[in-house]
Amino acid sequence: MLPAFCDGIDRRGFLRVGSVAGLSLSQFLRCKQAAAAEGRETRDVNCIFIFIVGGMPHQDMWDLKPEAPAEIRGDFKPIDTAVPGLYVSDVLPRVATVTDKLAILRGLTHGDSDHGRGFHVMMTGLAPGAGDFNGNQNNNQHPCFGSMVAHLDRGPGALPPYISVPNFLNSGGPAFLGAGCAPFVIESDPAAPDFSVRDITLPEEITDPRSQRRQAALRQVNRFRRRVEEISSQVRSLDTFYEKAYSLMTSEAARQAFDIGREADSVREEYGMTSLGQCCLLSRRLVEAGCRFVSIENGHWDTHRKNTESLRELLVPSFDRAIAALLTDLERRGLLDSTLVVITTEFGRTPRINELAGRDHWPQAFSICLAGAGIKMGQAVGATDKHAAYVADRPVTPADMAATILTVLGIDPLTELETPLGRPVQLVSGGRAVAEVLS
Amino acid sequence: MSRRSTSRFRRHFAGHCALALVAGLWACAAAQGGDAGPAATAIVSLGVEPCEITLSGNNRQQQLLLTVHRADGRLLDVTRLAELSIESPGVARAVDGRLAAVADGETELTVSHAGLERRIPVRVQGCDSYPPVHFANDVLPLFSKLGCNSGGCHGKASGQNGFKLSVFGFDPAADYDAIVKQARGRRLFPASPRHSLLLAKATARLPHGGGQRMAEDSGDYQLLLAWIAQAAPLGDDDAPSVAAIRVSPSQRVLAPSSQQQILATAVYSDGSLCDVTAAATYTTNAPLVADVQSGGLAETGQVPGEAAITVNYMGHVAVVAFQVPRPEAPAVYPDLPVHNPIDELVWSKLRNMGILPSELADDATFLRRLYLDTIGTLPAPEEVRAFLSDPAPDKRGRWIEAVLARDEYADYWALKWADVLLVDRKQLGERGAFELHRWLRRQFAANRPYDEWVQELITAGGNSAREGPVNFFRAVRTPEELARNVSQAFLGVRIECAHCHHHPFEKWSQTDFYGLAGFFSGIERKTISEGRELVYHAGYRETRLPLTGAVVPTRPLDGQVPSDLETVDPRLRLAEWMTAPENPWFSRLAANRLWKHFLGRGLVEPEDDLRTTNPATNEPLLDHLARQLAADGYDLKSLMRLILNSRVYQLSSVPNDSNRDDEQNFSHYYVKRMPAEVLLDAISQATGTSEVLAGYPPGTRAIALWDNRLPSYFLEIFGRPERNSPCECGRSSEPTIAQALHLMNAPEVEQKISSAGGSVARLHDEHSDDARIVEELCLAALGRRATEREIDVARELFSQAPRREAAEDFLWTLLNSYDFLFVH
Repeated sequence: MLPAFCDGIDRRGFLRVGSVAGLSLSQFLRCKQAAAAEGRETRDVNCIFIFIVGGMPHQDMWDLKPEAPAEIRGDFKPIDTAVPGLYVSDVLPRVATVTDKLAILRGLTHGDSDHGRGFHVMMTGLAPGAGDFNGNQNNNQHPCFGSMVAHLDRGPGALPPYISVPNFLNSGGPAFLGAGCAPFVIESDPAAPDFSVRDITLPEEITDPRSQRRQAALRQVNRFRRRVEEISSQVRSLDTFYEKAYSLMTSEAARQAFDIGREADSVREEYGMTSLGQCCLLSRRLVEAGCRFVSIENGHWDTHRKNTESLRELLVPSFDRAIAALLTDLERRGLLDSTLVVITTEFGRTPRINELAGRDHWPQAFSICLAGAGIKMGQAVGATDKHAAYVADRPVTPADMAATILTVLGIDPLTELETPLGRPVQLVSGGRAVAEVLS
Repeated sequence: MSRRSTSRFRRHFAGHCALALVAGLWACAAAQGGDAGPAATAIVSLGVEPCEITLSGNNRQQQLLLTVHRADGRLLDVTRLAELSIESPGVARAVDGRLAAVADGETELTVSHAGLERRIPVRVQGCDSYPPVHFANDVLPLFSKLGCNSGGCHGKASGQNGFKLSVFGFDPAADYDAIVKQARGRRLFPASPRHSLLLAKATARLPHGGGQRMAEDSGDYQLLLAWIAQAAPLGDDDAPSVAAIRVSPSQRVLAPSSQQQILATAVYSDGSLCDVTAAATYTTNAPLVADVQSGGLAETGQVPGEAAITVNYMGHVAVVAFQVPRPEAPAVYPDLPVHNPIDELVWSKLRNMGILPSELADDATFLRRLYLDTIGTLPAPEEVRAFLSDPAPDKRGRWIEAVLARDEYADYWALKWADVLLVDRKQLGERGAFELHRWLRRQFAANRPYDEWVQELITAGGNSAREGPVNFFRAVRTPEELARNVSQAFLGVRIECAHCHHHPFEKWSQTDFYGLAGFFSGIERKTISEGRELVYHAGYRETRLPLTGAVVPTRPLDGQVPSDLETVDPRLRLAEWMTAPENPWFSRLAANRLWKHFLGRGLVEPEDDLRTTNPATNEPLLDHLARQLAADGYDLKSLMRLILNSRVYQLSSVPNDSNRDDEQNFSHYYVKRMPAEVLLDAISQATGTSEVLAGYPPGTRAIALWDNRLPSYFLEIFGRPERNSPCECGRSSEPTIAQALHLMNAPEVEQKISSAGGSVARLHDEHSDDARIVEELCLAALGRRATEREIDVARELFSQAPRREAAEDFLWTLLNSYDFLFVH
């Protein structure tokens, strides 16, 4: 399938018909225009949201405690980085060279040591009520950040505003905002040789001329109906999405954004030919082409056994390479100022190494990283105690983190949504943006 | 973003109501015009409300409502147009249609307009002092009006910057404590009231996150100042409290771009009345039709339609209904054909609004609509042919009967109700979900009366692996959630709001919520084995309010405490109360659900939010449907029959000039999308293939699935709900890019179109005539014969490609067309 997608630009050149009509400016955009008119600063910021699924070990990557006893400090050692006095783990040699483009928040804390509930709180900023949130497709309690963005700002161009790669992220759904704010899920790994994006290319047996005949026939058949029932907002709205879908199929820019094969091999290798590496590269291509929010899922970090071995050999090397390459590449292309990179996880891992040489779930204190989009980088905010067990300085709640992310994206965290019950809810309740990282 | 437009923060006068207006003000005679001309618009009389005025206290004002009656029966508000004069200006003065106290005494107000005159006696007393302020009666409503205690500000659970009020003022004692005592009492400064932090913040003299909420020259400010100066009394325990509010007018027909004053009067527990027009809050549900300002002045826009204005004062609510007819209404309204009482009630509304209904839909459109709406299934080509060639004038009625009797009926309606009853495999396990779904399907297959099966469901007990309805109590596990779900699913009362605070638009309090939850307090669950539970009533338990620990009597909404709670399963009493014919919600909700299902829009929207402040767009019709359902013994099919046979249901979706913008009066059929399962089945049916559903026998329909978690990309992107909220709102009909891409490009859809056993392959082999293939494909996909345009399009396709390929392309075109994707 890969060649069909990657080399197919000319073979599948459609005439672009019509424009993406009918999309009215969202309230958000009107606010933005109003802000611009009043001379307040506005900017379009996109987001690459990397979720380390399973629980990222803060003490082995971002918040090392070399003075702690062996059963706590583990096998990793701090190394110097590009920012004097800021240390990361020796397993992150490449990230160490780009810490000037990273803000490490070491004081994350919440109360839920269950994966599913951890996803929910870290994906939405809201601690969920009772229930099982593993495999949660449509966060029944609160929309995730990507859906909030999709609700408020659909972005320019043909790309969907919120794309998930390679898979749907748990709790990455729109809740009451509805299917229109659900992510467009790639469901294919860009590192795989047969990577393709579902449904954006024609089925194999359908040639370009044949597809053009079909599209022409469809326009003919619909024309009459559109006239007689133009009043129906339902018809109009479907029409808009057909236009969008069609332009996604036919827009050179949109198709090229998905076509990771267009990158030079050297660039692909810089990111690493791994799932995370290629997802990061694809994300850069997507935000470059106007996608507002790309979420990346990277799994298998639940190191209940053989923690050191798993991190050193399987997990961190690809992470190290991908993150360093992403930040470097964004900066090189002048995209870092307009792209917020979030590296987050559902929780950290237990201070004490268990009898299987693993670490278990630990939400009391952990680290996440932010980069780009005017974030004050080259610093660590907050601190944990001597065992990296509890937050000793500057705790940051998931709601604080949510407020920070939205603020950087130019969205007021207190924006009210209305639930189907008619209840007003704020995008973020009870959180305050972390001033230390805001410029 | 919000549907409501509130203007809580404009100029207003908050009133303290210690003494009464003279009662009986609603029955004044109107001044008669001397020589009302023959013209319909001639003014015949002038009405004044109230017709006697007593102002007690130096902060008192009285809103006037002045109305002229025209010869044609129309009423016009002239509150701001009429001339007002006071005999003794030293006693009272008139401003902007309001009367304010100046000094104690008696005088007379003269109202004159269009040559008519009315005289109203006015008495002013107690003007030398500010009347005693009552915290709960006077101060709290102010916080609600100004938004201080709303969920986004000091009312949220964590308060705002250390100052926390109960949301909507549901807990006066805690609020008093917060204002008077907390923060070491620094919020009030009785020695110099105007320097109180409370006032400095509210007027933004000191920086206030919420900005300026009141001006220093406002009545609100005077009220708070007086309260602090009076040493911030809690107020007399015996002070009369608000028992209800009355609004005038309660309904009115208005012209576009006109004004209407609303008069709001509180009725106190001692029977006294007080003008609260300036202190009440006003909300409109249709700001484009009629918006409303603080102070109760409504203004209509350019858009014809209806608006309901909710007037809220101290947790009491009343509604004013405005109608704005189309200005270019037909001079002579035609006599419209009537199939049954539904038509009369809808036509009557349309006549008032100056709207003409669309034509009757043609036979093919009607048949496809009937099939899809009633059994979630496309009519087969041979059925379409048989119907179209049936010459009998009563054929629609006969086919309605035939469709209601089809097997798919039970599948489709079980699917619909499985959404509401949360039949979720993830929560219930396979056996539980299967059993509950199977039970539901049986109820519909047997057309068991709605009240009977709801009773059985609400009182279910036993082994969840054997008794389907028991699983309802496994999907919903706490008394609080049961109160919420039962109330929303069967009564359309969103009592959930009152779980934590007084309902913002209704009279329901926490006591009502926990009173309802009490019926489920005795339910226990024992695990039998993985995914199987025994559910039973273990004995009645008291319910207590979480905050105060006060015991709440178990009783239905607005109902009596049953006498035998200790000796029976209380759910029996609840079920009896719910399904009693006099229950004001049960049959209305069921009727509204059915109406919405068939007509695309509820008479009340959202369909499960019945309350006085959310009136039906056609109250007489909803009343009629609800009464009919109860009278027919809750026979759902019987009500469906009534709806399906009405001319209203059978109208065309093509609008005319007069009803193009109408989205609430059912003047034409509102086009709608098919639910995910129906669409998937329709694609299979039109392509002559069957969807392979993992673990199900070949040929299983998607509408017959009990497993809502069956992996299916198609069902996911087309909005299959997760079934975690007791409403139909989880089922999304929003279009997305992924849907459009899937229908156009998915290999799965392409395989159906080109399948060797599919309809294209079969027609290609059977017929040598291209036109015949086109005809059959149109019948299969669209339920009608091909139009000229479609024949032209097909001819073009057939001229460009081999027959088989062209036929596939034509079917692809039909499947992606509006005519296929929508129910018309």
